[in-house]
Amino acid sequence: MTTTTEIESRRARLRADANLAARVVPTHYPLETFIAVNPLAGLEGMPFEQAIRRAGDLYGMPGTLGEPAFRRRHLDGRITDDDLDRALTGRYPNLSAEPDLQLGGRTVSPLELLRADMLHGLGGANPQRRFLTRSEKQAPAVADEVDAQTSKWCAAFFGGAAWPMPGREKGFYSAWRMLAPSDRSVPRPARNELRRAAERADDAVLEGLSRLGVEDDARVVYLQAHLTRMPGWAAHVQWCAGRNAGIDALEYLAMRLTYEAVLLGQYRGGAALTGDGGQAEIPSARQRAAHLAAVPGVATAGEAEIAAAARILTALPVTAREWLWQSAFEGRYRDQLLTALAAPAAPEAPGPVHTQLVSCIDTRSEGLRRHLESLGGYETLGFAGFFAVAIRYTDMLGGAASDLCPVLISPSHEIHEAPAPDGEAAAARRVAGVTRMAGAESAFHAAKQAFAAPFVLAEAAGWVAGPLSAAKTLTPAVSAGIRRRLRDAVAPTAPTVIDLDGMPHDDQVLFAQVALTTMGLTRGFGRLVVLCSHGSTTENNPYQSSLDCGACGGQAGAPNARTAVAILNRPEVRAGLSSLGIVIPARTLFVAAQHDTAADRITLVDRHLIPAEYRADVERLDRDLRRAGAALAAERCSVLPGAGRELSPGRAARHVATRSSDWAQVYPEWGLAGNAAFIVAPRAVTRGIDLQRRTFLHSYEAEVDTDGSALETILTAPLVVAQWINCQYYFSTVSPQVFGAGTKTIHNVVGKVGVIAGHTGDLQLGLPWQSVSNGDRLLHEPLRLLAVVQAPLDRIDMIVERNPILQQLFGNDWVALAARDDPAQPWQRWTRGGWRPWADKANTDNVHPTHNEEMVP
Amino acid sequence: MTTPTSMPTLTKMTKVEVVVSGSDAPAVRDLIQSIGATGYTSLSGVSGLGHNGYHQGRLLFNQQATLELIITVVPEGKAEPLLAGLRPLLDASSGVMFVTETFVSRPDYFS
Repeated sequence: MTTTTEIESRRARLRADANLAARVVPTHYPLETFIAVNPLAGLEGMPFEQAIRRAGDLYGMPGTLGEPAFRRRHLDGRITDDDLDRALTGRYPNLSAEPDLQLGGRTVSPLELLRADMLHGLGGANPQRRFLTRSEKQAPAVADEVDAQTSKWCAAFFGGAAWPMPGREKGFYSAWRMLAPSDRSVPRPARNELRRAAERADDAVLEGLSRLGVEDDARVVYLQAHLTRMPGWAAHVQWCAGRNAGIDALEYLAMRLTYEAVLLGQYRGGAALTGDGGQAEIPSARQRAAHLAAVPGVATAGEAEIAAAARILTALPVTAREWLWQSAFEGRYRDQLLTALAAPAAPEAPGPVHTQLVSCIDTRSEGLRRHLESLGGYETLGFAGFFAVAIRYTDMLGGAASDLCPVLISPSHEIHEAPAPDGEAAAARRVAGVTRMAGAESAFHAAKQAFAAPFVLAEAAGWVAGPLSAAKTLTPAVSAGIRRRLRDAVAPTAPTVIDLDGMPHDDQVLFAQVALTTMGLTRGFGRLVVLCSHGSTTENNPYQSSLDCGACGGQAGAPNARTAVAILNRPEVRAGLSSLGIVIPARTLFVAAQHDTAADRITLVDRHLIPAEYRADVERLDRDLRRAGAALAAERCSVLPGAGRELSPGRAARHVATRSSDWAQVYPEWGLAGNAAFIVAPRAVTRGIDLQRRTFLHSYEAEVDTDGSALETILTAPLVVAQWINCQYYFSTVSPQVFGAGTKTIHNVVGKVGVIAGHTGDLQLGLPWQSVSNGDRLLHEPLRLLAVVQAPLDRIDMIVERNPILQQLFGNDWVALAARDDPAQPWQRWTRGGWRPWADKANTDNVHPTHNEEMVP
Repeated sequence: MTTPTSMPTLTKMTKVEVVVSGSDAPAVRDLIQSIGATGYTSLSGVSGLGHNGYHQGRLLFNQQATLELIITVVPEGKAEPLLAGLRPLLDASSGVMFVTETFVSRPDYFS
């Protein structure tokens, strides 16, 4: 007889297994706070190469661009023979010791032979999903039906439609169990069985596994097969775990396994899958050698020659070739970057610095900083865009608070926006106006979704909605201007301040010290110090959050900049800082700003708080920010589809402003496409170099961080977030079918959680195709992140040693690390075995023999 | 020394302490709640030395990469299911678990 304790133990073990299984699934955030994540974060404990093989088995996805794409880049000159040779000798350092070969009357070095195989070799295999559910193996139609039901019920649960899913408040499984037996899309016998589904989700999973014949020791893998079948929904369920959202992995699996067991039990259909599902055969080394020997113009090679060539080719399995291409692809960019960074620093602009601008580390800030510095008198710094204030922010209008900080941490302080002194009346007008507009908008949308009201709505409002839609399409800038003026008339802006009552004085001083020390700004303050947040203004774009600030939880960062400025301008805080050795002169004023990255418009915030004696400084700043923004817009226009390559800064500025308000525009901006490196160094290392908006730039001065705490903070937080962004762009590009969101043109929004392509199917993960590619032309180069650090190497070692997350990222090749003590030293490469000169390409962590008979296919 | 006569009546329970990385902590907390434990105490940002070397404690802007200590006290009947669930989780992670007998004065708080 089974005791209660035994039953409870079985349930607990199952829960643990479900949690373990769900580790391979990414976390999908709702659209409002959509942030970049590494879709393979659960596999970061493995070396990158192994992790994507595993992901290939789980999802049937490729982990790099395909060989044809790499070979096209070789033809284009993006990857050269030298790049390939360096990748090959890095993996096979003993290759040069091998004697030359004769092949068809030609003398060929082993390196040339392997390179020829890379360029012209036979083979290549498409990854296949290998972890399959019972129904995938035995009855694919049942597997499809389970997916269809999953999609339907998840959309109902998450959709937030005008007619909510009955019983939703009791949780997903309970609501589904109540409704599914009445669902006539399922045959009657199956409905009868669904009526007998277990009351508890965990018992339903146990029962389903038992009926499907899944043993306990195969359970985790089997649950993974189900979770990875529709990774989008599973990924959002993963986000819900621990958030009291009424669903977790067990509830989701309970529904899927119950359907599978019931439908499979009643299946009387066709044949099961057999064999490997059409996996292409991998050619043998001999076949590859014979193929290379048969190139036009080469005499027929003898058997002995082909055998000798095959012996060399055994060292390079066909499945490893894409990895070598990836190394060559990355190597070229990295070598060029480090060479540029090794050059003597550009001299500072003549004249004293009057203004410092601190912007987010986001790659888009690099262009703004470069153009602003070129105007002279400006020094720029990079820092995570939440400016070290992790806040839960409520604006003057009230409503739900926003967590404005990286998702790695929880907000430390509740911060409220309040009317400025003497601004209560204006604030009241604004609140009333916004409330009226929100009410009208809500009524409009409610009418659209109600049963009969759309017909009345069309009659009543169609005469104005139609022309308005036409205007938004044909003249987006004019239409946006009118709507803005209308908004300002109904709800005029009101001066507000940040209320710091929620943050104790000591915390404010600590924040100020940490922020200034971490960014290396502890002396030489200018008259103005601008903390420049960023956000993106686009229309009709469910993925707007992906263009906002990742360090602010996928939201615009102006409240963080305002909070930081309010703290840093307080005389009491400056007095506290002074006692800690950081003296901010009385003449220095901190100012908040926000960079609209779609329109390249930089706006100063809280102008009413700027004293009159700074009027001339602010006028100059406004002027220069307009010039820098326009120059950046012109630079961006050269790669924005349909923008025109050689626009003047003025025309470019107008173009991007129009573009950002165009509701039909699928390429409002390129976001962080192209990102490839994260540089932690003083600006002197990068100043004057056009980094093409591909690098995250974090300021760091090693001499003001003697205990390494600032560097540890940078490497364990901003670098981690940058790696997530990098991986999201990477996998959205190389594996768009699984980890990309597909084309925007057929997206349908599901509640607030995400989009689906068309009217049904899986929730889409990652970025839309229009975020990484223009048609077939990839704009984003999928390169893993290179971290470049200028700091004492022993300090970096100490930090890596005590932080497993860094050992994992660097040791498992998710991020490469190059560093040097100071500009006089050459760049070094971090390896598990110690630092090695960057120029030394041999990968000592991963040396492969030139012969390996066991590898002969 | 307290004399037995002055001691309040104490009830024997099982105390389970788990140290795992911040990213694994939600799974442990979920398990604790699922077996019907009435609560737990959680301490994030703990440092220590173990199989994988020294582990840094509090990180300024990353609560997921630090270690977390989670403590719960359950009646004996719930200890076995909890341990049954924790074992596979810890087999797959770098965490540790300590199980001890403990005594509480208000057993209704824990069952």
